[in-house]
Amino acid sequence: MDTLVNVAHGFGVALLPINLLYCFIGVFIGTLVGVLPGIGPISAMSLLLPVTLSGTPESGIIMMAGIYYGSMYGGSTTSILVNIPGEAASVVTCIDGHQMAKQGRAGPALGISAFGSFIAGTFSLVALMLVAPRLASIAIAFGPAEYFSLMVLGLIVLTFLTQGSMPKALLMACIGVVLGLIGLDSITAQPRLTFGRMELIDGIGLVPVVMGLFGVAEVLLNTEQAIKRDIINAKITQLLPNRADWQASAGPVARGTLLGFLLGILPGGGAVVASFASYALEKRLSKTPERFGHGAIEGVAGPESANNAAAGGAFIPLMTLGIPPNVVMALLLGAFVIHGLQPGPLLITQNPGLFWGIVASMYIGNVMLLILNLPLIGMWVQLLKLPYNILFPLIILFTILGVYCSSNNVFDVYVMIAFGIIGYFMRKLGFEPAPLVLAFVLGPMMENNLRKSLILSQGDLWTFVQRPISAACLALALALLIAPLLPALRKKRELVALDEGA
Amino acid sequence: MNDQTNVKLRLNNSELWGGLIGLALGGFVIWQGLKLRLGTINDPGSGYVLFYTGILMCVFAASIIISAVTEGGPTLASRWENVSWSKPLLVIVCLTAFSFALEPLGFLLSSIPLMLLLLRLIDPVRWTLAIPVAVLVPLGMWWVLKRLLLIQLPSGLFGIG
Repeated sequence: MDTLVNVAHGFGVALLPINLLYCFIGVFIGTLVGVLPGIGPISAMSLLLPVTLSGTPESGIIMMAGIYYGSMYGGSTTSILVNIPGEAASVVTCIDGHQMAKQGRAGPALGISAFGSFIAGTFSLVALMLVAPRLASIAIAFGPAEYFSLMVLGLIVLTFLTQGSMPKALLMACIGVVLGLIGLDSITAQPRLTFGRMELIDGIGLVPVVMGLFGVAEVLLNTEQAIKRDIINAKITQLLPNRADWQASAGPVARGTLLGFLLGILPGGGAVVASFASYALEKRLSKTPERFGHGAIEGVAGPESANNAAAGGAFIPLMTLGIPPNVVMALLLGAFVIHGLQPGPLLITQNPGLFWGIVASMYIGNVMLLILNLPLIGMWVQLLKLPYNILFPLIILFTILGVYCSSNNVFDVYVMIAFGIIGYFMRKLGFEPAPLVLAFVLGPMMENNLRKSLILSQGDLWTFVQRPISAACLALALALLIAPLLPALRKKRELVALDEGA
Repeated sequence: MNDQTNVKLRLNNSELWGGLIGLALGGFVIWQGLKLRLGTINDPGSGYVLFYTGILMCVFAASIIISAVTEGGPTLASRWENVSWSKPLLVIVCLTAFSFALEPLGFLLSSIPLMLLLLRLIDPVRWTLAIPVAVLVPLGMWWVLKRLLLIQLPSGLFGIG
């Protein structure tokens, strides 16, 4: 009953005209960046982070969340019609989605992708509503040792799932921690790694780092080679899947939804992992696995549902524990912090309007996305024809403006350009930026919790092992660290290793 | 001779250089951690986490170096094979020049040439399209930010913008 009252209160917030407008802007931009290859939700969210300052916290966060789940919808359009994933979570949709389009079945592929996403998105919201308050009440009992161990686990999971060698990913995570510690020490107020520069006293901003590593570096990589676009030009008719399509897709949508939601909750996991796992599961369960790769609708329905369910599930660790499970959620954490809010166990009780307003806005956003993605498909196809040689200077200009507006400081533009160049060389040498960014956000929190737990336990390191939740997290993290040393597990890791950065 | 070539090949790889850079950074972080106060385990100081993170960096970098030397890896040149490396280089040069010009020239006088260079140098867009895009987009953005959102953009020594 309480939940229904809270949902009603949330809808009261979400249905305010200004919040509806921000929600629409968010899902529209999300679909747009999902559709356009070369710019993903991370770049778009970091670009629009400063815009959230102009409104209420609810409006800003509703818009940012809309960009995230909107991009999950939009990404499938590019995968199906152009065979280029608009963002990383749609990579797997290319395999069967584009084959379906080539066989003249682009309509049902786009249709099942949109309906599957809608069903999964709605399910994950219901689950978020039911799980988050309960988890938050448990999380109140968490001490610094639990928080520290949980963050360590999140980082290790992400490094485990990152493409390339694990030592490289771990090195990136360490560099992220160091970068996060630049500025005044929160306990002793001593400046660290500032080299006498006043601009570094408050540390390096998240926006220039992310915009540089993901926005500028992505542009530099894309300019190296001409992006080939094999756009399906035939008129797209009959978007509604037929009875046979629905029958084939019902199971994959249900399984993808459940799997995606569970993987989304895990720290370090997320939409990309969920979509690949769902594809592998459907192929394994299928009586005719040979159809996969040649236009099997199950290969579109499962992963598309999974990535949307994961996008919803990822809000749980952020909202209940204050720990971002992936880079996108780290940016959302940035939006909370900009408004002086701290997501965590007390957010739901202290700011019920904000929490339930965001949840309710996601329902509304999902309906908006269904409308945006089905009747307006022709418009998105036209956008795909915008040449990259015109698009990339615009992306660069927007990133420069986005960074400047976030702090009104030219120094941040320099930082972004420097990180763009560093990010380009990092990617060329096979170092993924995702662990660096997550560690950059978690670094100061990890340090704070580590030092607090050491002070509280009077230097007793056993405190991390004696507390059950902390011990479980550290044991799991240790298992993941050891796993790549075993040849069989190393092979499995390479199969699921992903480029989270795209 | 053959062994010498193999050693040379193993040493001339991008993995090794990545590891060496990591090792140097790790060493630097350890040094910075020591410069700040390490403290004790009962009361960790400002340099405590930095110092141990630096050690971890050195361990991971050493692991990268060892596998680079024993297993080999792609050469630096091979990382830029079959791609036109000059294009990202040009973008980097343009962005570096822009970062030097932004404060003295201001937003408009620095971003219009940047846009024009990016539109014409990398994958040339025809002049009739490049000029309007290069002028109108920064001007439009400047107008929205300065007039509508009241955000102060750098106006430079000439006070334009």
